[in-house]
Amino acid sequence: MAVKIALAGNPNCGKTTLFNALTGSHQFVGNWPGVTIEKKEGKLKGYSDVTITDLPGIYSLSPYTPEEVVARTYLLQERPDAILNLVDGTNMERNLYLTTQLMELGIPVVVAVNMMDIVEKRGDQIQIHELGRRLGCEVVEISALKEKGIGKAAAKVVEVARKKEASVLFPVFPEEIEQSIRQTQAHLGDAVPEEQRRFYAVKLLEKDEKIAEQIGKAADLCAEITTLEELYDDDVESIFANERYGYIASVMQACYRKGSRENITLSDRIDGVVTNRWLALPIFAVVMFLVYYISVTTVGTWATDWVNDGLFGESWSLAGLAQVPGIPAAMESGLAAIGCADWLAGLILDGIVAGVGAVLGFVPQMLVLFLFLAFLESCGYMARVAFIMDRLFRRFGLSGKSFIPMLIGTGCGVPGIMASRTIENDRDRKMTIIATTFIPCGAKLPIIALIAGALFQGAWWVSPSAYFAGIAAIVCSGILLKKTRMFAGEPAPFVMELPAYHLPTAAAVLRSMWERGWSFIKKAGTVILLSTIIIWFTTYFGWVDGQFRMLEEMEINHSILALIGNTFAWLFLPLGFGDWKSAVAVITGLVAKENVVGTFGILFGFAQVAEDGAEYWGTLAENMTAVSAYSFLIFNLLCAPCFAAMGAIRREMNHRGWFWFAIGYQSLLAYVTSLCIYQIGTWVMTGVFGIGTLAAFLLLIGFGYLLLRPYPEARPLRGRKRRGRKALAIR
Amino acid sequence: MGTCIIALILVCVVALSIRSIRKDRKEGKSAGCGGDCRHCGGCCHDIGGR
Repeated sequence: MAVKIALAGNPNCGKTTLFNALTGSHQFVGNWPGVTIEKKEGKLKGYSDVTITDLPGIYSLSPYTPEEVVARTYLLQERPDAILNLVDGTNMERNLYLTTQLMELGIPVVVAVNMMDIVEKRGDQIQIHELGRRLGCEVVEISALKEKGIGKAAAKVVEVARKKEASVLFPVFPEEIEQSIRQTQAHLGDAVPEEQRRFYAVKLLEKDEKIAEQIGKAADLCAEITTLEELYDDDVESIFANERYGYIASVMQACYRKGSRENITLSDRIDGVVTNRWLALPIFAVVMFLVYYISVTTVGTWATDWVNDGLFGESWSLAGLAQVPGIPAAMESGLAAIGCADWLAGLILDGIVAGVGAVLGFVPQMLVLFLFLAFLESCGYMARVAFIMDRLFRRFGLSGKSFIPMLIGTGCGVPGIMASRTIENDRDRKMTIIATTFIPCGAKLPIIALIAGALFQGAWWVSPSAYFAGIAAIVCSGILLKKTRMFAGEPAPFVMELPAYHLPTAAAVLRSMWERGWSFIKKAGTVILLSTIIIWFTTYFGWVDGQFRMLEEMEINHSILALIGNTFAWLFLPLGFGDWKSAVAVITGLVAKENVVGTFGILFGFAQVAEDGAEYWGTLAENMTAVSAYSFLIFNLLCAPCFAAMGAIRREMNHRGWFWFAIGYQSLLAYVTSLCIYQIGTWVMTGVFGIGTLAAFLLLIGFGYLLLRPYPEARPLRGRKRRGRKALAIR
Repeated sequence: MGTCIIALILVCVVALSIRSIRKDRKEGKSAGCGGDCRHCGGCCHDIGGR
C-alpha cells in the first residue's frame, strides 16, 4: 500500500538536503531560510511505494506566513501516514516548539535530530533515548549533509507509517488548560476526526481565525478563553506558547548536556568581522568586486577568449598536437562542400552561428560567476549579506528581507521577483518587485562582458561597477519611492536566523553552477536561436528601390530591422546610442537580455563582437564612444527586464496599473541615468557643454531633490491584494 | 540537394526548439527565464492556498 511521509521542520534545518539524500533528487539547497516555499515530492530511495513530501520550513503551525499555510493545509487535509520531523540539534529548544505542535496532529511522528556532527564537535550531548521517551515518539540522530543515519531515519519513519500508531504523549499543559482543551474537544464532537480533536481544540483556544472559520464554533469558547486569560493574566496565544516552552525546557533539562568547550564558535568569530558595524559593507563591496573582477576580467576572460578565438574562431590547438578548425570555419567549409545555397549558408553562419555563438562565447565567464555565487550562498555568507543589507535598506524604508529576492535575482530575475512573495508588507513587496531586476542577472553578464572587453579593453572597474550600479539603483529607488505617499511607512521588522558557516561540498557548488549555466545554454538553444533566425531574416531582407529582396552586406541599412530600429533610434540619441543597430539591440533585449549580444553578433559580424582585439571591433567602436558604450550598458542593466521577468512582475503585482508603473519607473530611471552618464561624461571628456548637458544637470538636480526631500505621511495602497494575503504577526 | 538537407535539418532544429519551449511552458517552466525552476520555488504557478 502506498505510504505518504511528510518532511517537516524549521527553516534552514537541512530539510531539502535530507530530502535530496532520501529521494536522490537535486532540489535547490540554499544556506539561508526560506528556500522552499512550496511542497516538493519524491520517491523514497529503496521503497518504491513510499512518497516523501518536503514541506516549506516553518516555526509553528500557526498560519502567519504563506509557508506555514502551505505546510499546515497539507498536514491537515492530505493526512500523511507519518511525519519525519527534522530538528536542528544545535538549536533544539526552538526546533522542538514545532515538534510539540506536530505531535498534536494525531499523525505518527519520527524526530530526526540533524547536525549531530556539529553537536559532537561542540562537545554537547543529546540523550536520544531519553528524548524519545519524553516526547513519546521515535528519535534518531542524523547528519543530512554527511548522509549519516538517514537510512535508519527512513526505515523508522516507514515502520511507524505502516503501523499507523500516533504518538500518545502530548505536551502536558497545566491542569486548568488541559481541562479547557478537554471541554473544547467535547464541543467539537464529530466535526473533526477524533485523532485531530486535540489540535483543533488548542487552535480554537488560541483564537486561530482560519480554524474557527473552518469549524464555525469559535463563539462557544469565549468563556473558556476569558477564564484562561484572567487566570494567567496574559493573552491566550502567549499562554500556550509559554507553556510549550516550559515543557520544552523540562525536556531539554533531562536530555541535553552542554559541553565544557568554549561557547564562541568559529562562525561567531567570523561573524564578529564580516557583520561588524563598520567593516560589513566594505567587506561585502570587496567580495562582490572580486567576484565580478575575477569572473569577467581575469579567469573568465581567459576561458572566454579561448571559446571565442578558438572554438568559435578560426581554429584552436589541441594540446599543441594539432590545429582543430573552429565551429564557424568548419561549418563554412562543410556547407560549401555539400553545395548549400548562399542564403541558407548565410542564415546559418551570419545568423545562427554568429548570434548564438556570440552568446555562448560568454558561458565560461558566466560559469565562473555562478561558481563564486554558489560558494558564497552555500557557505552561509549570503545569508549574512541580507542581515548586513538590512542596516542599509532600513535607512530608506526597506528591510533586509528584500535582499533575498535580489540575491536570487543574480541568477535570474524571474525567480527573484517571485521570491518577493515572502514579504508580507504590501508596500515593501511592491518596492522589492520594482527594484529586484536592477541587480544584474546572468543574462546581463554577456552585455557587461562585451562592453568591458570590447570597448574598455577589459578595464578592471567596468564589470564590478555594473553590479554596484544595480545596488545604487536599488538604494536610490528605495529612498525615492519611500518619499512618495504611495510607499511611505515604516519598514517591517526583519528577523533572520543566521546559519552556521560551513564549507560546502564541491559537488553541491558545482551542481549549482551547472544548473544555472545549463539554464543559460538551454536558453541559447531555444529562445536565442529562434530570435537569431528572425533577426537574420529581418536584417538581410528589405526594400531597395521599391523592391523587396535579399540584401547584400552593404545594403542592410535598407533592411526591415533597420526600418524598425530607425523608428525608435531617435529616442536614444540623447543617450549616445541613437543608431538603429543599438536601438534594435535594446528592443531584442526585451525578448531575452542575451539577445543584445546576439544582435550585435549578427549586425556587426561575429568576430567583431567576440574578439577583444582592436583590429576586430572597429565597426562596433565606430558606433560607440567609451561614454556612450557605458551609457548603453547602464541603460540595458536598469531598463525594463525581459518579457519573462515582465510577466513575473505582472503576476506578482496582480494589478495592471502597478505593472505599468513598475515598467515605466524602471525605464524612466534607466533613461535618466544613461542620459546623465552620456551628457555629463561627454562634457567631461570633450569639454563641450550643450543643451543636452544642461538637461542632464537639471535632471540631476531634480533627482537630488527627490532623494533629499522630507518623508510624507503614508496613504493606503490602491490595487487588488493577492488572494489570501494577510499581515504577518510578529512573533 | 545539399540545400534541401540543410534546410530540413534547420526546420527540425527549429521545431525541436519550439517543442522544448512549449513543453517547458506546459510543465510550468518559463523558457524565457531559462527554466531555472530550482531557484524558483514554483514561481510559474500558484502556490497552494493562493
